[in-house]
Amino acid sequence: MKALALLGLALLAGAVYAEPLGLPPVPIPADNPQSAEKIKLGDKLFHDKRFSSTGAVACSNCHDDAKAFTDSPRRVSEGVNKLTGTRNAPTVINAAYMKTQFWDGRSPSLEDQALYPFLNPVEMALPDHGPILKIVRNDPDYAAAFQSVFGKSGEAITMKEVTQAIASFERTVVAGNSPFDRWYYGHDERALTPAQVRGFQVFVGQGRCVSCHVIEQTQALFTDNRFHNIGVGITAVQADVPKLAGAFLEAKAKGVDVDVAVLTDKKTSELGRFAVTDQFDDLGGFKTPTLRNIALTAPYMHDGSLKTLKDVMTHYNNGGIAKAGDRVNDFLSGGIRPLNLTSQQMDDLVAFMQALTSPEFAQTAAKAK
Amino acid sequence: MTTNLSRRAFLKGATALAAAQALPISLVELAFADESQNFTFAYISDSHIQHIRGAKFVRNWDRGLIRAVAETNLLHPKPDFIMFGGDLAQLGSKPELDHGAEMLSALSGKVHHVMGEHDYYLDLGEYWSQLFGPHYYSFDHKGVHFVVLNSILTFDDWTFNRWPTAEQRMAEMAGLDNPNGSPFMVGDKQREWLRQDLEKVDKNTPLVVFSHSPLQKIYKGWNFWTEDAEPVQELLKPFAKVNVLYGHVHQIQYNQIGNISFHSVMATAWPWPYPASYAQAEQYLPKLTVPMNRADPFFERDATGWQFINMANGNVDLRYTLYENRSREVAYNDKTKQPEDSAYQPDSARIPPQTHY
Amino acid sequence: MRNRQVFSAAALLSLVLAVPAQADEFADTDLKRWEQEFQTAVKEGRRLWTSPELGSNGVVCAQCHPNAANTHPETYPKFQKQLGKVANLWEMVNWCIRNPVEGQPLTADDPRMTAILAYVAYERRGVKLEPGKH
Repeated sequence: MKALALLGLALLAGAVYAEPLGLPPVPIPADNPQSAEKIKLGDKLFHDKRFSSTGAVACSNCHDDAKAFTDSPRRVSEGVNKLTGTRNAPTVINAAYMKTQFWDGRSPSLEDQALYPFLNPVEMALPDHGPILKIVRNDPDYAAAFQSVFGKSGEAITMKEVTQAIASFERTVVAGNSPFDRWYYGHDERALTPAQVRGFQVFVGQGRCVSCHVIEQTQALFTDNRFHNIGVGITAVQADVPKLAGAFLEAKAKGVDVDVAVLTDKKTSELGRFAVTDQFDDLGGFKTPTLRNIALTAPYMHDGSLKTLKDVMTHYNNGGIAKAGDRVNDFLSGGIRPLNLTSQQMDDLVAFMQALTSPEFAQTAAKAK
Repeated sequence: MTTNLSRRAFLKGATALAAAQALPISLVELAFADESQNFTFAYISDSHIQHIRGAKFVRNWDRGLIRAVAETNLLHPKPDFIMFGGDLAQLGSKPELDHGAEMLSALSGKVHHVMGEHDYYLDLGEYWSQLFGPHYYSFDHKGVHFVVLNSILTFDDWTFNRWPTAEQRMAEMAGLDNPNGSPFMVGDKQREWLRQDLEKVDKNTPLVVFSHSPLQKIYKGWNFWTEDAEPVQELLKPFAKVNVLYGHVHQIQYNQIGNISFHSVMATAWPWPYPASYAQAEQYLPKLTVPMNRADPFFERDATGWQFINMANGNVDLRYTLYENRSREVAYNDKTKQPEDSAYQPDSARIPPQTHY
Repeated sequence: MRNRQVFSAAALLSLVLAVPAQADEFADTDLKRWEQEFQTAVKEGRRLWTSPELGSNGVVCAQCHPNAANTHPETYPKFQKQLGKVANLWEMVNWCIRNPVEGQPLTADDPRMTAILAYVAYERRGVKLEPGKH
């Protein structure tokens, strides 16, 4: 956390601050400019366990600074009273670059995203945002901070200010400058091992990973910000899709909360992006996550169903199925097909994944162990 | 009066909500006084199932057809029937037609088939006929007269005298840009059958004609063309509402010639560039058509898809389900008397199409 | 300095003496022959374009690109997201060989690659050069 505070301070230096190698400037919304105090306030809110029904769950429970902002090695997240959801906690790192938030993109911004986990019954489980506002309006430290950052006090403090502060903090959680960045953009030939270099070649070549996990000429976000059905999760509910999709749309038309529906019902969760758009094309589709610091955030996929990076490579190499011969999902996204990679090539890819760890997170993760 | 009966019809059952949500179709005027006459059908086309060897087929094309079938089966309420628009196979072979038929057998509902040149030129449609029935025919459904033509015939000399083997004949016609190919036509015999078939039909009956090739002339070099399109159009002229739906072109096209609305349907296999992208030839893409974006070859399903077709006003309203792309709707505009793209047509809503080149 | 003068004088002398030997003076027969040479590459390129031999699944280039349409050679080099960089046309051809037709990529100077590039460029003759355009 200290390291991150430093990172945040570095960002504030503004003109003198350069983005970490391999990353573009962080997009900052015009109506929520960064400031040192706002970031510090957001940091505090992010780690405050009081904003949950049991007083035991903060944002940072599932997005732990020491675990590259995930809850690795949990398969799915654990909220109040050890209740579990349906999805693997996505990292906050570089979420600032994402065009949508959550695995299914049901939220358009970091500010909006921060509203939902407080209320979800399997996350922080508050009945409404009232208890949060009560604390931030009355706690002297918060009151002072909100006055200083937003010039507001008492009833004038709303969830808008709370989520703006949290989002500001999250926009400082960015990570580049990995061995890959130093090799690819910094032209340091010794930054990668020979296996990692071979893995990179597979990544942009036969493995065709780069088509979704984007690398560009001057930057690499490792995501296309799109949604794909890669045969994870949906495969298990394949036969139920017509019933599930119909029942879900019916419930949605009657006003069911999508955020609650997808996190509390495993089968509904597997509808993926469809739950947001109602489009057939989005059945079983989930957002392409960044791969930065992926070696620190096992297990993998939206449902945490794959334990290791090698398992992930095997899944893709089989063309979106766990083992050759399994039934391929009818709605599988084009582009997912058997890759004919050798075990050595998959090992090289895994080695390359390990070259995507940013030094500050490698250190915090090492310390935590 | 503005009504939205079609949408209301979708909203009847509980499960109907799926369709109402996924298929937001609203119509301005309904020709049928009797609401129960409104109906829909689905249209899948050009799957080009391609045999490699043994039990191996090109996976990419297989996946396209499998997905279209699975999605069509999700429609609620179920479409009254499903059209398959031709080119089920790539080289007309028994394994290809069998494999394609097997995948189509997962469809819940009656399937009507159109002959494509890839189904025909190996054995002149003999095995296809065993599987799917006559090469051309007509049927009536809820007050609409449907005609299915085999529009991919050509000159007898080309078909019977030019090639040493059936396989070579098939291969020569299979290459879209192959100069050894030959223009498609309906032919005298079938036009005479059509004339007689239409004689019995009241001229106010909505007419829907299915062909594989466009019954209009767009670009001869790729056989986006039917040589006797004008005499066929002539036979359709006396009718008040005429719709021609064709496959073959693997892209969205629409047009209005006199009383006839023309629409193409998508392929499930792969998309084709618009003919304008061929720098060395003249072509006539209908001015009405707002082109689709160029496909991204990584996303193998990009710019492929299938159609959901609403017949509520006697004209076809097509909703194109396009993978990796937002769906598009091309519906008949009763004011302008032509099909229009509901989302792309107004300048304000139009997504600037990418250049095909 | 002096050496160069000597050299130029010698060059001038040889120019005067050897009448037909100017390196940049092409006869019609040369042009015709070279055009024919080029056309053999175009023809071979067209053959490969419509042949399954580049791949392993029977799929051919022309299936998606009739007359090499939508190949736009005049826009390369350009950024290709399938490759994650600014790439040459031959690299994108290899992407297609590897993916839709499931074959083995060719080296940049493989005569088959040259033939394919010749065919693609020939089908786009007369089109304005627009590197980087999407």
